[in-house]
Amino acid sequence: MGQLFNKEAIEEIKKEKARWKEETLKDKSGDKEYFTDSGIPMDLLYTPADIEDMDYLKDNGFSGESPFTRGVYPNMYRGRLFTVRQIAGFGGPEDTNERFKFLLNNGATGTSVVLDLPTIRGYDSDDKEAEGHVGAAGVAIDSLDDMEALYDGIPIDEISTNIVTHLPSTTVVLMAMFAALAEKRDIPLEKLSGTNQNDFLMETAIGSSLEILPPKHCFRLQCDAIEYASQNLPRWNPVSYNGYNLREAGTTAIQEVACALANAIATTEELIRRGNNVDAFAKRLSFFWNLFNDFFEEIAKCRASRIVYKEIMEDRFNAEEKKSKLMRFHVQTGGITLTKVEPYNNIARSAIQGLAATLGGAQSLHIDSFDEAYSAPTEESALISIRTQQIIQAETNVVNTVDPLAGSYYVENLTNEMAKRIRNYIEEIEDKGGIVKVVESGWLHREISDFAYQMQQDIESGERKIVGLNHFPTEKSDTEVEVFRYPEEAEKRQKDKLEKLRNKRDSQEVEMKLNVLREKCHEDTNLMPYIKDAVKAYCTLGEIEEVFREEFGLWQFPLA
Amino acid sequence: MDKKIKIVTVKLGLDIHWRGIVVLSRMLRDAGMEVVYLGNQFPEQIVEAAIQEGADVIGLSTLGGNHMSLGPKVVELLREKGIDDIMVIMGGVIPEEDVPALKEKGIAEVFGPETKVDSIVSFVESELEKENVK
Repeated sequence: MGQLFNKEAIEEIKKEKARWKEETLKDKSGDKEYFTDSGIPMDLLYTPADIEDMDYLKDNGFSGESPFTRGVYPNMYRGRLFTVRQIAGFGGPEDTNERFKFLLNNGATGTSVVLDLPTIRGYDSDDKEAEGHVGAAGVAIDSLDDMEALYDGIPIDEISTNIVTHLPSTTVVLMAMFAALAEKRDIPLEKLSGTNQNDFLMETAIGSSLEILPPKHCFRLQCDAIEYASQNLPRWNPVSYNGYNLREAGTTAIQEVACALANAIATTEELIRRGNNVDAFAKRLSFFWNLFNDFFEEIAKCRASRIVYKEIMEDRFNAEEKKSKLMRFHVQTGGITLTKVEPYNNIARSAIQGLAATLGGAQSLHIDSFDEAYSAPTEESALISIRTQQIIQAETNVVNTVDPLAGSYYVENLTNEMAKRIRNYIEEIEDKGGIVKVVESGWLHREISDFAYQMQQDIESGERKIVGLNHFPTEKSDTEVEVFRYPEEAEKRQKDKLEKLRNKRDSQEVEMKLNVLREKCHEDTNLMPYIKDAVKAYCTLGEIEEVFREEFGLWQFPLA
Repeated sequence: MDKKIKIVTVKLGLDIHWRGIVVLSRMLRDAGMEVVYLGNQFPEQIVEAAIQEGADVIGLSTLGGNHMSLGPKVVELLREKGIDDIMVIMGGVIPEEDVPALKEKGIAEVFGPETKVDSIVSFVESELEKENVK
């Protein structure tokens, strides 16, 4: 038993707190009520009475052991610092390859690539829909050729790779290309370590677009990628359940975690239905959180999410292996918390959020650059983001003891409260039929847009304070910020490359591979092997995704 | 003005960030405008829809870096069809230094992040007022 407080002590503390209120505090706390960012009431002062039932061994335990409240690894950052992982991606693969090398030479410890919109949405650079988007806001990847150029000279068997694939349909193609690339370089697939995003909510709820696959088919592809990786790429995280972009679109911290967990539940159910053993695939599922400015709430969120995930995997799915029950997550600081006015203030905001991620026990971190509201980061602003992380790691000493906020009456109370509210919201989603159903019905979209609408009103009314914007509004008109320019010639370069590719490849083989894939779309089978065959024959991403669009049909996004 | 102002709002091209435009659409409705949100569209469809809807204004939203390539194209297509009474405005993450070029190509105004909805409403109202006086 690890019960921390005895009943008599708690009673005494409660009595004394009442006395203190009466004698010392009096009316000094005022009438105003305070709430956390996600609406949890805040007390002025917390005491052991706020965590009176806390059982240390049961509720906290030790790092690297269940319930993982204190962190997923026994020695946490002493063993391995969080990975400094800055996103890069623009122009053609050659341009991004150069930025990768710049970041790695400056101490980044992994690569992370973001794709341009045509690639994410399944169009080749020479498609009509791609016009004006090629190489903007991400890198263009059309074929295995581009994948080879993207990782040219980068030791993909030694450092970890993150591919921000967003959608399952993009994931299955790029994962297949990455595996094919490794094979071409004679790197065994077991050596590939990294993560891709692969979240069907990105296609169906978080981002809108022109042509969207129906939720159940997106979900199927999400599961195909996870199942394939669990059998072939044992060190690869085939999903990063994406709370981050939900939060950016408009949710509370509670909804962010609950939706991602509801997705994890549905995915685990589906993979078990397909005959997979939970411990065979659950070891490699990862999460992606967004940290805003409510410092303690965000830390409590990280802790609570580990607790709830452990409960789900253990109680619901009977996972046995420790690795199947521990939640590893990547953090990116909150893009939407950054301002355009007085942009250098964003360096302070991001540092605070990055510190919260560290205290929350994140496995890897991306710190947003201060020029977020202006353009993609320049080399200079990206370097400040790396340096911020290095300052946290090397100068603050916070990384050298595990979960240092454990035992804080407030943080423990808030961790319990967040966990409770996350469980409740998951239950609400499940009562409505689960995550796929709440997307199909548009309920989730409504939840997101209601929140975003409310937040905008709170900002405009001044209820939500933002320094420089509505709180101490800036007197400066505009700050001159160097803007990052996407290489404009990338579109032409990609088009030329595609033309050459289409001429040189074996078009009969291409046709054949695509036809096999087409047939398999209608079978209850994993599509990954057929996609991999297709990319090896240099079928393009757009051609493969066109097969999906034709075979699965399109879906109307509920907000349109 | 007695008649409700009608605005067609749209995510430009493949840009995925719907938060801003959906919130703005609701707030413009609160401000008394008639708003038709088209979701994601390319210039040809945008112009066609705006004409069919009899819109006074087209509001283009983009954070995807396609503002220079696709934004002015909407104005161009309108001009080609001889339409000069539909105003085109833009919003999103658009570098300050691109704004003059966009305006030169016929975009009436560009609103960056943190613009208050009120200022969009009053801009649209006063511009349309000017049109009516002419």
